Amino acid sequence: MSNMVYLLCSLPSLTFGQAPPLSFEEFYSDSKKQLSSKHFKMLEEADTQKIDPGAKGKLQRIFGLNTRLQNDLEEIRDAKTEKRHPNLAHLPKSVTGSNPLEREKQIMQWQWEQLEAIESGSTFAFINVLVYKLKLQILIRMDSFNREQGAKVLASVVNGA
Amino acid sequence: MAGLKIKYTKTERARQKKILKISERMLPLFEAMEKSLMSTINTISERIEQIRNTIEQNRKASEPWVAVMSDSWVEIADFISVNEIVTKPVDVAGVRVQQFERVDFNIKPVNAGTPLWVDDAIELMEEQLQLEAEIKCLEIQIEVLEEELSDVRARVKLFEKRRIPNAKMAIRKIGQKLQDDERLTIATAKVVKTSRYEEASL
Repeated sequence: MSNMVYLLCSLPSLTFGQAPPLSFEEFYSDSKKQLSSKHFKMLEEADTQKIDPGAKGKLQRIFGLNTRLQNDLEEIRDAKTEKRHPNLAHLPKSVTGSNPLEREKQIMQWQWEQLEAIESGSTFAFINVLVYKLKLQILIRMDSFNREQGAKVLASVVNGA
Repeated sequence: MAGLKIKYTKTERARQKKILKISERMLPLFEAMEKSLMSTINTISERIEQIRNTIEQNRKASEPWVAVMSDSWVEIADFISVNEIVTKPVDVAGVRVQQFERVDFNIKPVNAGTPLWVDDAIELMEEQLQLEAEIKCLEIQIEVLEEELSDVRARVKLFEKRRIPNAKMAIRKIGQKLQDDERLTIATAKVVKTSRYEEASL
């Protein structure tokens, strides 16, 4: 417990939209020192993209969030193919009207809010560390969105083919 | 022209007249072909310009969201690549060229976990790649047509500067020579006739 308190207190606070204050390597390095091997293994498994129907406990809550998101993404894709409005169960309806970048940011904000809901009521628990990792993952991903780099990627595919 | 060897015979004159007649008939055809090729090349160049504008418009339309393509989670190049550019042979201004039909893509299917922007990026890239492929085909068409155009221009020049003037000159020279020969024959005959008459009167 004291290790968890120490770890969570030593980590910089995260705000949606900010530049990531630390790298994954730094986060893992700090976490590995403070967490048990069992907890660290769970931490490694937690991912904002991953789905594991067999997951239990805290990871089940994380993967449940991913499942809900992926179900809505599937619904958006089906609706597009069938040329109809999507019936979203979880994501805000505004995501369907935005451009791809804004939509991705809205989805990440929704994930962020869901993660905050998951950890609400807990302060220095393992779930807070799991949520911290996923929030950091969101920030690192969002930070990778770069107009110049994106234009280079587009040009490399279109002109390099 | 200077080294032109002419046979001063009636058969040769007939042959040169035939060459002149054919050349004068062929020249307008080649001139028309030249015009047609030039016009087709211009039309293709305009089409290339139009496609380039569309590519630029698409690129500008994607500017507000292009940042997402550097997403650290996705390697978009893995999702789309060109398998084959499909073309069909057609005759353009009498020349056989390959016309763009479509692009056959290798598209990696998205799964439920794939970010939504990937769908939009694939759509955009498909369109841009199709347009780029069409430009490539049109540029090859221009190359082929320009080759043909230079060939036709050489023919026009050949008829205008050599065949027609040479034939005309040959006809004129043969005519003069044949006329001179005829005069000489008549004059010789008259001399012979006069001398025979003088011999007989003696």
